[in-house]
Amino acid sequence: MFESLKMGDKGKIIDISRVGKLVQRRLLDLGITEGSEVCVKCVMPFGGPVMIESCGQCVGIRRKEAVQIEVVRL
Amino acid sequence: MIASIIIGIVIFGYAGWALVRFINKSKQGKCAACGVKDSCSSQCSPIVKNK
Amino acid sequence: MEIALIGNPNTGKTSLFNNLTGSYAYVGNWSGVTVEKKVGVFKNNIGQLIDLPGVYTLNPLSKDEGVVTSYFLNEAVDRLLNILDASQLERNLHLTLQLLEFEKPALIGLNMIDVANKRGIQIDASKLSKILGVPVVPVVARNGKGCDKLVDVIATKSIQPANKNLVCYGQAVESAIAAITGEMTAKTNHSTRFLAIQYIEGNEYVRNYVNHIADQQKLTSILEELESQLLNQYDTKSLANFIYTKRKEVIEKIVAEVARKGDATIPLSEKIDSIVTNRYLGLPIFLLLMYFMFMLTFDWLGTPLSDALDGLLTGPVTSGIESALGAIHASAFIHALILEGLVAGVGGVLVFVPQIFILFFFISLLEDSGYMARVALVMDRIMESVGLNGKAFIPMIIGFGCNVPGIMAARTIETPRERLLTVLLTPLMSCSARLPVYALFVGAFFAGHKAFIVLSLYVLGIVMVLILAKIFSSTVLKSETSLFVIELPPYRLPQFQSLWRSTWDKGKGFVRKAGTFIFAGSVIIWLLSYAGPGGLEVDMDDSFLAAIGNVIAPIFAPIGFGTWQAAASLITGFLAKEAIISTMNIIYFVPNDASLQALLADFYTPLSAYSFMVFILLYIPCLATVATIYKETNSKKWTAFSMIYAFVIAYVLALIIYQGGRLIGLV
Ligand SMILES: Nc1nc2c(ncn2[C@@H]2O[C@H](COP(=O)(O)OP(=O)(O)OP(=O)(O)O)[C@@H](O)[C@H]2O)c(=O)[nH]1
Ligand SMILES: [Mg+2]
Repeated sequence: MFESLKMGDKGKIIDISRVGKLVQRRLLDLGITEGSEVCVKCVMPFGGPVMIESCGQCVGIRRKEAVQIEVVRL
Repeated sequence: MIASIIIGIVIFGYAGWALVRFINKSKQGKCAACGVKDSCSSQCSPIVKNK
Repeated sequence: MEIALIGNPNTGKTSLFNNLTGSYAYVGNWSGVTVEKKVGVFKNNIGQLIDLPGVYTLNPLSKDEGVVTSYFLNEAVDRLLNILDASQLERNLHLTLQLLEFEKPALIGLNMIDVANKRGIQIDASKLSKILGVPVVPVVARNGKGCDKLVDVIATKSIQPANKNLVCYGQAVESAIAAITGEMTAKTNHSTRFLAIQYIEGNEYVRNYVNHIADQQKLTSILEELESQLLNQYDTKSLANFIYTKRKEVIEKIVAEVARKGDATIPLSEKIDSIVTNRYLGLPIFLLLMYFMFMLTFDWLGTPLSDALDGLLTGPVTSGIESALGAIHASAFIHALILEGLVAGVGGVLVFVPQIFILFFFISLLEDSGYMARVALVMDRIMESVGLNGKAFIPMIIGFGCNVPGIMAARTIETPRERLLTVLLTPLMSCSARLPVYALFVGAFFAGHKAFIVLSLYVLGIVMVLILAKIFSSTVLKSETSLFVIELPPYRLPQFQSLWRSTWDKGKGFVRKAGTFIFAGSVIIWLLSYAGPGGLEVDMDDSFLAAIGNVIAPIFAPIGFGTWQAAASLITGFLAKEAIISTMNIIYFVPNDASLQALLADFYTPLSAYSFMVFILLYIPCLATVATIYKETNSKKWTAFSMIYAFVIAYVLALIIYQGGRLIGLV
């Protein structure tokens, strides 16, 4: 689960299908999909968005979508 | 006197022209604010709400 | 010859466009700066260059991306100039593969070579060119390196792609492609393979197009068959995903061959990021930055400059004109027209040029540094709670400069509901044309806390947006869907030259408006104040202007400024907000050196002055903004709504402030 990752942790996405369709499409556009390595850069307070990094590219997504992404810690 | 009349005509003439031009441009909205409006020949397309 | 620039967002297409055409279109360091098609002419006249919004694929999600797909389908494209970000090659190549399937002459500009090199990435352009079968020219769009070479290649080489079918999508898909292309032969001049692949991928625009020219039922059955076959045979979620994976395989191979990764220096970006998007400091830092900006604009730098300008205008310039008019024996009418009308009206606006430019400088800095997207990230939590998303904050910040481009920028917001909401609310952002009003009034009434008072107005605008967004999204614009994925570009140190360029580009509009509309407006306002039912040269209180103002003045009495002067200036403010200031300068014209600021104290109290500023902040979008709202929403209803709600809110708020203030004993 994404929740298990803390700031600075790295993980590999194994399942992204539970995320909303549109968000999934956008992440795919940005090259983030199953198999991508991601790193949690920053977590905003009060349930705000998280900032993740993949292949040198930073992306912000909402917490509630992030927790739907299945990752394994690296 | 002649000078006054000429100045008056020039000022009012220019003002009238500028006003008409400004209002016409404002009515075009975004195109008036565009950076390349002088060379641009595209027709701006409106957003179609809700597909 | 028409050449279309196309590439991922924020890869430097517009920078290149500006470089090649010598124009200045809007550049900024976030995704979605360009939202519509722009046409320019090459410096050496070899043809037209077309700048398009950035897209990740040809299958669009948002309106600005749709612009590109429609362009492809509906207009004759001669040549494609694909811009790649060399530091993000893999992601960029997805689009390139689709473009090559389009089978039009193409070439590639490999941009941001400098960034890639800094990250330790070396790309072999000639090898890439060989694999893709199109010319590849390395460029740095920011400083123009390699642009000459690019123009040479565009102008001379025949650039029909050599290698067709770079990607093989596997037997099942290929046979479906064959079947679909078979349905379309001789019915279109586009590449049928391209159309077929996009059709399978689920591109709505292409599906519409194809359904028009071919037998819809047959195509649907081919598609369904393929889908069931693939889902059974492979472990894949959808057709689009399958195609994506196939492309990805090819791209990985290409990248392995052409790119070499070496040692990278740790980007400065990450260090800055850990501060500005810090959990708790993010929002305070943003407010602090705004405060600093207003201090500089109103206290430290802007006001002294504009005071100096004012001194110049009321002193040497006025007396110079006076003696010139005396020398040619101008009539009293002309004398008054020029000094009391033009100098007061136009000059009164021009003295605020320093402040406007400082503000624009900051906005340009925000746009070019990469902070913009971070602000969107920091604001998302708050925006989400009122039914918007963080991306809506970008149009609003742009709206601080001018509401018109702000409203345009809302095109990058993916869901129609959030986009409409953003379009409707952006006018509440205090644009630069409202700034002279604040400058004048804070100078007269709040000299000790200028920056703070102005900041309070800007924050009030933002707070009203939040409240109204909440109200609208739970009443007239209900819907659940909300989408927030934002690309955070690396910070780039803005170059002084481009900063100046973009500041000037925004600011010159203000100066130009002073010379045209404000000039004309001043003449008319002056004439109306000079003439009355009783003839020319009447007392101003008996003029036509007073008569017009008096008609609506009573409406404003409860909110603290029921004078015909205020009413008259509010009317002109609809055409352009700067006109408020020039009207006041003409109405309150004082021949001797006593300044307008001193005179205002006779007509306003600090409380009514604040109420007046709040009213100006909100009361109605200017004519150009209204026209833009109409173009963007394509609805008379929403356009009228945006004007009416703004007026109601402005009135209610000013009423609360004025009457409430009086109740608690403020004056
Ligand atoms: N270091 C570097 N920065 C560049 C280069 N080209 C462009 N930039 C910067 O990259 C940012 C994006 O440039 P734009 O030209 O607005 O990009 P765009 O592709 O038009 O972006 P969209 O319109 O959003 O699709 C700006 O801050 C530019 O200054 C380059 O070659 N090197
Ligand atoms: Mg652009």
